[in-house]
Amino acid sequence: MRIHRGRIAQYKHDQLLREYLKQNLNELIQQKELILDGKVKTQIATLDLPTLKFGEETQFLAQGSGSGGAGGQGAGAGQGGDQVQALGGLLGGDHHGKELQVELDFDEFVRLAQEVLLDDLRLPSFHDPGRAGEVEAQEQVELDDLDRIGLRADLNLEETMLQSLLRNTRESGRLDYDVDVRQDAWYFIEDPTTFQNNRSVEVYVLDISGSMRGEYLALVRKTIFILWHYLEKRYPTNLRRYVVFQDVAEEKTRDEFFCVESSGGTHISTGFEKAISLLDGVTEYDKFLFMFTDGETSSGDFDLAKKRFDEALGGFDLVCYGHVNPGGRGIGGFSEFVQEAVRTREGAMFANLVDLETIRSAMRDFLGFFETRAARRPAAAAARRD
Amino acid sequence: MGLQQPSLTQYEGVIGRLETLAHDRGLAFDPVVFQLTDSDEIAEVASMGLPNRFLHWYWGGVYKELVTQQNKEVFTILELVLNTVPSHAFLRSTNTYLENVLVIAHVFGHADFFANNHWYQKSNKNMLNEAERHARLIRSYEHQYGRDRVEKLLDALLTVATSVNAFERSPKERRRRLIYYLEEKAPLEDFERTILEAIREEAEYFDLIQRTHIINEGWATFVEAELLTRLLTAQEWASISVHLCNRPAPYTIGYTLFKSIRDDDGFDAALQMRRYHEDVSLIDETLTEDLVRRLDIFVYDPKEKQKSYDLVKVKEMLINQKLYKGEPRIEVDPSSCGRDLLLVHQDEDRKLEPKRTGLFLKAVYALWRNPVKLRANGKVYTYDRRGLSST
Repeated sequence: MRIHRGRIAQYKHDQLLREYLKQNLNELIQQKELILDGKVKTQIATLDLPTLKFGEETQFLAQGSGSGGAGGQGAGAGQGGDQVQALGGLLGGDHHGKELQVELDFDEFVRLAQEVLLDDLRLPSFHDPGRAGEVEAQEQVELDDLDRIGLRADLNLEETMLQSLLRNTRESGRLDYDVDVRQDAWYFIEDPTTFQNNRSVEVYVLDISGSMRGEYLALVRKTIFILWHYLEKRYPTNLRRYVVFQDVAEEKTRDEFFCVESSGGTHISTGFEKAISLLDGVTEYDKFLFMFTDGETSSGDFDLAKKRFDEALGGFDLVCYGHVNPGGRGIGGFSEFVQEAVRTREGAMFANLVDLETIRSAMRDFLGFFETRAARRPAAAAARRD
Repeated sequence: MGLQQPSLTQYEGVIGRLETLAHDRGLAFDPVVFQLTDSDEIAEVASMGLPNRFLHWYWGGVYKELVTQQNKEVFTILELVLNTVPSHAFLRSTNTYLENVLVIAHVFGHADFFANNHWYQKSNKNMLNEAERHARLIRSYEHQYGRDRVEKLLDALLTVATSVNAFERSPKERRRRLIYYLEEKAPLEDFERTILEAIREEAEYFDLIQRTHIINEGWATFVEAELLTRLLTAQEWASISVHLCNRPAPYTIGYTLFKSIRDDDGFDAALQMRRYHEDVSLIDETLTEDLVRRLDIFVYDPKEKQKSYDLVKVKEMLINQKLYKGEPRIEVDPSSCGRDLLLVHQDEDRKLEPKRTGLFLKAVYALWRNPVKLRANGKVYTYDRRGLSST
């Protein structure tokens, strides 16, 4: 067997990289284009030994396009159609002193970000999978299969096999593992098909009018990453759809959603409208709308936006409206209206996203939604029994 | 690896023939042990420089990058040879038969260079065992003094290790180079000094390779072409000779220089050249205006978007790259004595990256343990127990 030194060293490197990213999360998360080819690219000087370097290369040795200069330091600079390739790899040896560029899987990045954020916010992190948690089907669920996930399930299976062996011996004198689920099964779960309803559809709507950049984006992304942490623990599957809007709204892929180009005016109504249209044919049980905007919709749009907001409340189980406000200014425009409206309306939540502290209280409100549901459930179950 | 050995048999015949051809051309070298292995192991050895070197996170980053590049097929390492006796060479099992024949011829070029080049006569040919010994030592120190402490020490040492010079023998000149100065004067504990010596020794081994990279790769490519024109049929040769022009810059530069020497003065002159020169003297003596044009290398000014094929400029830049590894030239000021350590940037007109400067001085301070000063960027940076300051 071969000792894989390369991978051991890489593991060490990755551990340090995690630490490094934790320290530089804020800088990274603000990158306008967060995902390129499914990866997060770090633009900051990467994990490196701090050998001295020149601040700026005024001139460098280069080679024409004819002969390839593979490997080596310095990026090629394609200028005006004339290919110029910095002459690299002149040293050879042990690659010592060579600058590294680090790429990170987006999912890995999100996990790291969640770790840091949950730490910073001192929010509880959930470890228990919530798949059995929030089912609120109309009928009493039928427990007709074995739980097959996790260590506990293994023990249960062992117990079940033993039970069936004992029963078979008792009943027919055969040493046989002929399991009859109804008689032998040790721990049941409900029919997996009912899980279908235990899913969520999450629509993320982002205002990308001119002002949404830098700190704005950082706040939105941090909020989304923490939301993901909780939603993923709650639901076995999360169907996520992404919408961006300015004057018009468009559905985007995840990768596009995290590479926004901000420009144009604001028509909040279009964002709601698009989100509502995405509910067509949706069978998921819980439907969430997360809207992020600075609330400055154009004056002509105000009434229509109100109307669409009402419609959204009808279609979604919960509409979370995040007023992105890194400067901590007063709340005006459409946000002011929503802030008022949520006091009297069910299924709506307003969050004034100023800094980490306000994200934290927003999360508390958000999690409150699940608690209200949980509290309602025994009552509903009791009602069914009557 | 034992399992892969049998497939090496298909190369035994060609290895023998190439060896005979090489000797016929006047080449002489120590035995070469060939190993057939996968890209992954080659990336592993390439990232560390030696297969059994001590573990460090930095190699992990390089390894990760090499593997990614190989997977994307941006870049593959075709072959790897170690300057040891016997010489060890790695062939990639996924190379085609013909590719590996090229590699074998190339490897004999390296082996000949290792055995005959003047600068390699004093090199440590026992580095494989030395590196193993260092790795064991470092592991035992990690156990004894704590992993964190040893790792921090290694980080600092690897940062200053680029200041070695395998060619420099004069003690006075050596003392101007940071790592030798620290070895002599830094208030280190015994185990720390032992690790410093180990790192310095390994750095010198690589420094020699770096200072002869162009001539070594050039010679190996030149030998490869010389042998293969004799071994292969015209058709086979035509199908692969394009490989030789598609190599990275050091290969093509060195190859072109050797070819021009042979064309002008014959093969024996090339043999002489490989014996007495290293990169700087080779470039200085043989690079001509005509070759600069033919190689299409130039000094590029990104601001003005201008290319300059001026021989003096290209030569000077190439030589400077080789002399100082493209890094700022930092020397210990002779006025340093006692607890004072003053470093001076010799090329003061060029600015250093300030963020790195602070981190670099922190690393030096971790070894020197007393205030460290650096004159650069028109000011004096000081790193002491309060951290970085500048005046």
